[in-house]
Amino acid sequence: MTTRTEFLSRIRTEVGKTPGLFSARTAPRPSDPRAVSETIKRELAERWPQALERFQLEFERVAGVFHRAASIAVVPQVVAGIARENEVRRLVAWDAPELGADLLDALTARGLEPFAMPPGDLADATERAELRRRVADAELGLTGVDLAIAETGTLVLRSGAGRPRSTSLLPACHIAVFDRTALIETLGQAGVFLELWNRGELEGRIGAVTSFITGPSRTADIELTLTRGVHGPKEVHAIFVDQAIRG
Amino acid sequence: MSETDLSVPFRRRAGSALGDKHLQEALTIATTKFIGLRRDAFDEFPEGERLRDLAREIKEATLQHLHRYVEQLIDSVERLGGHVHYATTPEEARRVVLDIAARTGARMAVKSKSMASEEIHLNEALEAAGVIPIETDLGEYIIQLAHERPSHIIAPAIHKTKGQVADLFAKELKRQVAADPEELTRIARVELRQKFLEADLGITGANFAVADTGTVVLVTNEGNGRMVTSLPRVHVAVMGVEKVVPSMTDLMVFLQILAKSATGQKLSVYTTLVRGPRRPGELEGPDEFHLVLLDNGRIRQIAGPLREALYCLRCGACLNVCPVYRQIGGHAYGYTYPGPIGILLTAMLEGPGSVKDLAHASSLCGACADACPVRIDIPKMLVELRREIHEARIAPWTERLAYGLMEKVLASPSLYRWSKPLARLLQRPFARDGRIRSVPLAFTEWTRTRDLPALAPQTFHEQWPTLK
Repeated sequence: MTTRTEFLSRIRTEVGKTPGLFSARTAPRPSDPRAVSETIKRELAERWPQALERFQLEFERVAGVFHRAASIAVVPQVVAGIARENEVRRLVAWDAPELGADLLDALTARGLEPFAMPPGDLADATERAELRRRVADAELGLTGVDLAIAETGTLVLRSGAGRPRSTSLLPACHIAVFDRTALIETLGQAGVFLELWNRGELEGRIGAVTSFITGPSRTADIELTLTRGVHGPKEVHAIFVDQAIRG
Repeated sequence: MSETDLSVPFRRRAGSALGDKHLQEALTIATTKFIGLRRDAFDEFPEGERLRDLAREIKEATLQHLHRYVEQLIDSVERLGGHVHYATTPEEARRVVLDIAARTGARMAVKSKSMASEEIHLNEALEAAGVIPIETDLGEYIIQLAHERPSHIIAPAIHKTKGQVADLFAKELKRQVAADPEELTRIARVELRQKFLEADLGITGANFAVADTGTVVLVTNEGNGRMVTSLPRVHVAVMGVEKVVPSMTDLMVFLQILAKSATGQKLSVYTTLVRGPRRPGELEGPDEFHLVLLDNGRIRQIAGPLREALYCLRCGACLNVCPVYRQIGGHAYGYTYPGPIGILLTAMLEGPGSVKDLAHASSLCGACADACPVRIDIPKMLVELRREIHEARIAPWTERLAYGLMEKVLASPSLYRWSKPLARLLQRPFARDGRIRSVPLAFTEWTRTRDLPALAPQTFHEQWPTLK
């Protein structure tokens, strides 16, 4: 078997043989991603309405369904509306602290059967398998959002304790709730947050996966006919909450 | 056509593709659609041209220090509890994956679309070892049921009709299935959902791997990339060593142009950034994460004539615009990677001898270089390849003889002068009405599908003194 040393030394030897095709540099990285990310947010504090408008436009272009709620307290009503339209009731949700609010009682009161994800890992494989069955059975998945990118209508979700990957993946209908603190304008700006999340103090605290979600799952593999919901959700709803979710 | 038979010469493979009416229609519709979608996406995106330049520069800068970035990638992956493996050959890569499967007792593997695993013929090896491989990209699933190979890098089953797909599904599921894309997709969702939940092993490629963070990046539209990296207990990613990018900032440059070039989307539906196995506190995700770094001819091209082909993002844009691909489709090329870039990648992986015919399957029109998001000069490398094939005496003797004579005649004014009366004499038995429609012996092939204009009684050069 090839070893690390052999493999790397072969690459090093070949690299040493040529100066390359032209003088070239990699993209300039933010030296202090935290400071840059704070500047991005500060600037958006003023022009977020335009960014939101663009987000809605792009999100709808990729077949997302956009909703707006005055406060987090109104969200259960919106969710119940979506459930009614789809004639479904089984819902799985991120753990309340990750979602930013505990909506279970309000959802139950509106006729849904909500189930919250545990705040961390479970004790054993049996429990985990039981939970997976429940998530696979659910018809709605309710999550928060770490970034909403206006330029592309993209929702960015980090996995982690209390915020499992499957909530936005297995149910046929994904509902994501966010406020203006998640809103950014461009993919380039998203890069600054990725630089920030993947280094230093945050590194150990977040989960292994960051998902960029741009509309419902789709395929055009059969005669180029566009079809939704091949593996992931068939519907993606984004609920924008005007009043900051975390008070 | 199942497994492409390489003992059939390229000319005959291309010939049968040209005679396949259905394939011709499917190719025209698909490639024309992709061209339009790509054009619209870039028309709407004024920064696109600058970002293409930047992406090209990042690829070049990365290659100039590739050993450093690969080492950084390895360290980052290992720091997060992942394992890195090194494969010089396809055999080695297959052995690595089979060892992991055996050690973890895997019985079934779900795969998200990966050209690298196609390249190393992983499915056959898994099957032989008693592990059932399931392709989960809908297009790949279809061609797996049909026992074929992908005909397009991003739309593997464009050569199949919905009727053919329905027949395949009916045979697999042993029941009647309607030839309706919506219904077929729904069936695939149900069938494959079960496999995702049951499988032990998730196998993916990598569109990129970020050296700084040890992140493997998967771009899909269906969501199978997310399933495969979240549900099974082991995740194996197989990637060509050139897929490494230095930082997240670099990654974002590529993400801004990749989907636009491939399908005209601003971003594919899912871009999944995976950093190693499941973290403490995480409910889902694999217990083990393995990254297989694949050489297979790539490393020697860092300083070789095909270096620029190492920039390739596998978007498929060059296939859609290629006048040859548009006529013959992917299977006629005969190897894993079709189209203009495919010829170069085949030469990289299999050696220049493997493309002695394919190197000529290009009109050198340059449409591929124009469409390439990182502006790879494909025609230039094709010409280089032709020369290499000629000089290494891999080309057929007739071709070498013809080029050899041409070279001598064109390089010497006196030989050129004398060649003209000689050629007029030689062409006399074959020229009719100013055309040569067939020539004998080894040269018949050239005139089978085309005429040659006969040499004029007086060339322009000969007329010049009187015209002056």
